[in-house]
Amino acid sequence: MDAALIIEWIIKSILLLVICITGFAYLTFYERKALARLQVRIGPNRAGPFGLLQPVADGIKLIFKEELIPEKADRLIFVLAPVVTVVPALVVLAVLPFGGVVNLFGREISLSVAGDVNIGILYITAITSISVYGIVLAGWSSNNKYAAMGGIRSTAQMISYELALGLGFIGPILLAGTMSLNGIVEGQRGMWYVVYQPLGVLVFMIATLAEVNRAPFDMPEAEQELTAGYHTEYSGMKFALFFMAEYVKMIAVSAIAATLFFGGYRGPFIDQVPWLGPIYLLIKVMILLFGMIWVRATLPRLRYDQLMAFGWKILLPVALLNVLLTAGVIMLFPGLGV
Amino acid sequence: MSLDPSAILVILPEILLVVLAGVVLVLDLALKDEQRRLIGWVTAGGLLFVIIPLLFFFRPGDNPTLYWGGAIRVDWLSFVFKLLAFFGAAITAILAMDYEVIGKRGELYLLLIISTLGMSVMVMATDLILLYVAIETTSIPLYALAGMRTKSDKSVESGFKYLLFGAMASAIMLYGFSLLYGMTGQTNIYALAELFQQAELSSSPMLYGSAIIILVGFTFKISAAPMHFWAPDVYEGAPTPIAGFLSTSSKAAGFAVLLRVFLVAFPEYAPQWGTALAVISTVTMTIGNMIALAQKNIKRLLAYSSIAHAGYALIGVSVASVLGVTSVAYYMIAYLATNLAAFGVVAIYGRIAGSDEISSYAGMSRRSPTLALVMLVAFLSLAGMPPFGGFIAKVFVFAAAINAGLIWLAVVGVLNSIIGLYYYLTVLKVVYLHRSENDEVPLTISKSSGFALGLLVVAILLIGTVFAPWFNWAAQAALGL
Amino acid sequence: MIPDIVLFIILALVAVASAVGMLFSKNAIYSALNLILNFSSVAVLYLILGAPFIALAQVTVYAGAIMVLFLFVIMLLGAERLRRSETLPYQQPVSIILAAILAVVAIYALLFRPLGIEAASVANPDFSSPAAMAEMLFNEYLLPFEVTSILLLVAMIGAIVLTRKRQRRVQR
Repeated sequence: MDAALIIEWIIKSILLLVICITGFAYLTFYERKALARLQVRIGPNRAGPFGLLQPVADGIKLIFKEELIPEKADRLIFVLAPVVTVVPALVVLAVLPFGGVVNLFGREISLSVAGDVNIGILYITAITSISVYGIVLAGWSSNNKYAAMGGIRSTAQMISYELALGLGFIGPILLAGTMSLNGIVEGQRGMWYVVYQPLGVLVFMIATLAEVNRAPFDMPEAEQELTAGYHTEYSGMKFALFFMAEYVKMIAVSAIAATLFFGGYRGPFIDQVPWLGPIYLLIKVMILLFGMIWVRATLPRLRYDQLMAFGWKILLPVALLNVLLTAGVIMLFPGLGV
Repeated sequence: MSLDPSAILVILPEILLVVLAGVVLVLDLALKDEQRRLIGWVTAGGLLFVIIPLLFFFRPGDNPTLYWGGAIRVDWLSFVFKLLAFFGAAITAILAMDYEVIGKRGELYLLLIISTLGMSVMVMATDLILLYVAIETTSIPLYALAGMRTKSDKSVESGFKYLLFGAMASAIMLYGFSLLYGMTGQTNIYALAELFQQAELSSSPMLYGSAIIILVGFTFKISAAPMHFWAPDVYEGAPTPIAGFLSTSSKAAGFAVLLRVFLVAFPEYAPQWGTALAVISTVTMTIGNMIALAQKNIKRLLAYSSIAHAGYALIGVSVASVLGVTSVAYYMIAYLATNLAAFGVVAIYGRIAGSDEISSYAGMSRRSPTLALVMLVAFLSLAGMPPFGGFIAKVFVFAAAINAGLIWLAVVGVLNSIIGLYYYLTVLKVVYLHRSENDEVPLTISKSSGFALGLLVVAILLIGTVFAPWFNWAAQAALGL
Repeated sequence: MIPDIVLFIILALVAVASAVGMLFSKNAIYSALNLILNFSSVAVLYLILGAPFIALAQVTVYAGAIMVLFLFVIMLLGAERLRRSETLPYQQPVSIILAAILAVVAIYALLFRPLGIEAASVANPDFSSPAAMAEMLFNEYLLPFEVTSILLLVAMIGAIVLTRKRQRRVQR
């Protein structure tokens, strides 16, 4: 293993972290602005020009807040839980291609941390499947009934929607014939998969909303019923970590959705100028994120039993049907050009 | 490998069972409560529909063939034991129809069918992976069936005990399989057999170790000592027709697997494991019969008797000869019909009398002479009296032992049969000679149960008198191994 | 080679420690967490062996799905505090003796290689790519695969049969 490769990996990893954390900070700002507009308000506009420094101000405020650990809490897990929540959110993007291969300082560098791995999608499912632990453990270790309730809710919810999410992945896999995300993006040279997979996109988007606990599926932190759900007892930076995890996950799932269904980093002139890749991806992610914010501003929260019934009785069968249809069409008409 | 039609054809019975399971599920949804008894008939009819083509069109040829990448083997052994499993399931379905509450639940029949499917794959499987999956497919529905009367603590206990024991035993067995795979890199037992003939592997202590570990799983399935502890409690708590199924079809499939794995994969070590099995057989017979003497509950008595019968049949396995295998196959044929009849009578009478205590059988012969007669036939056959099936079966098993020079084993078997005779006759004494106050209340037997019992009595008599065709089947099963 | 061995030793220690931790934790939640850690470290071992597919499946299925359900049930029942279960008097000595025998046998096998097996043969580097796995699963092991699907279905039905209260017929 040559040292340059290791250095390349380290630089890429650090870059990814920086992107995620900045993204988180400005996503909160983006959300507050967009929500305000949707509700005919102005939103944060005091800190810096157009309120652009608002996230910084928020961060500083949170750092100076007092950190509380409830007396009866399970201290080890209580402290560990925010970390366990954040880490999967940060590492899930490691396999995501931000662009094709670029030439930098005479080296061929692929614009994703892990490079082109043939099990990219499996990696994503693996990480999402363990990302629930932080929330559950936070809920349990707080020794607070609201928190515990939030934790249990999130477990049930995430398990239920993970199935639909996993099935949502299968459409693009079938179309591209590979589990590598680069392969899937390259497979969308001719046409975005959203065209072939309208049902799949729908299922995927809904399932991701549930996976990241966003409205209208924000049951685990439903403030009217559960105070703040699993993070009721958290304050200061630990609370900020949960917040960060949620927003980083939003970015991550948007980026994954963009990659799977909306052509990923591909766009006009991408073959001539590979550096355009990250920019295209950023635009797509911004649009998808706006969709999430829009949904939050529009739809009321589901009742818990409705949520479960919807997940198991509607979303899962639809996802299965989608897989069946896709596979059937590919089997029957091998010459469709996909 | 592309799928060739003949490969589909050999698993047609299994595919049909899956279809039948689907039909049962739909019927359960579609039918009203009082009609749902019908599902029992549908199940039995469906199984018959599978048996008949199997019997006439799917007889294995003289040359056993491997299908599905060598994972299954179509030979007479699988054929005979498959028929046994299907027949047992069909009779159980008919007997279960009369069982309160759960007899009207479609799930019962569904679980029964899938369990039968598992057995059917189990007896064909020549690949350890498929074998393990099939054993689980057989067992898991049985766990649920045993605990299906969720309102009864005994039934729940029965299901749980069976599950815990079964899970443990199959985990140990799977460990044994994994050791075999680790040693050889093979999962096919015929390929393993070839490898074991090589000198360097053949003396390995690992091999003995893994064989013993695998034996744990198999002895659990056939409820032989020392893995027999589950049987009495499970049989007692499980719904009676299900207990009958557990003690017959499930056990027969277990024997088929035991025969196939040990005779095919480890023939070189037959002296060693044969001795081990002979010891196990002796212990099993003796424990089963001795403890049966003290039983007050008819289901527990039958459970211990079923343990003892596993011991008798193990004699045939331990001699590891063609005659031995023949005798085991014959024993299972006879035992299946006999024990199903015994459990059938217990199911019917227990439902009416509301008790499975032996003392409650007093006056049964006056309340229903026919039912008592069926019981007589079944118990005498279990005891090994001529002209019933159990007699011929025992003769073959003992003959196989003597033929192989294991005279002591045959003597132990005969002595045990005498003990067995004593407790079977004790029950019959209660049935025929004791009296109770409701002597005069006649029993009504439903048509379905009557039909099933009639069929079984005919089978017991046929197996005990006209034994040539069954013997031929059994012999061919042994030769084709 | 050397980094691999170092990595292996670290992972093996983690795996063993977490397994021991699972057994001796007084709190069911900690036991479950230890088990998750154990599964994850085993997954990384698979990764070292060049089997990323199996590694990630291990994480998704065991560390992810199954253990989440375990935690869920433990939390829902409030069964965190494990009581000292009653043991038979002879259980402990017997288990210690058996474990010792196993350890001796394992060490013997490791040191003397009685099977004459040297190093594991190097598998084809492509053996665990998703395509190769699928090829194997849907050709050679198609039948076990299909039987497994029925097994899982019937296990589900069995669980529902045993746990569901039956009322719907009355209401209709």
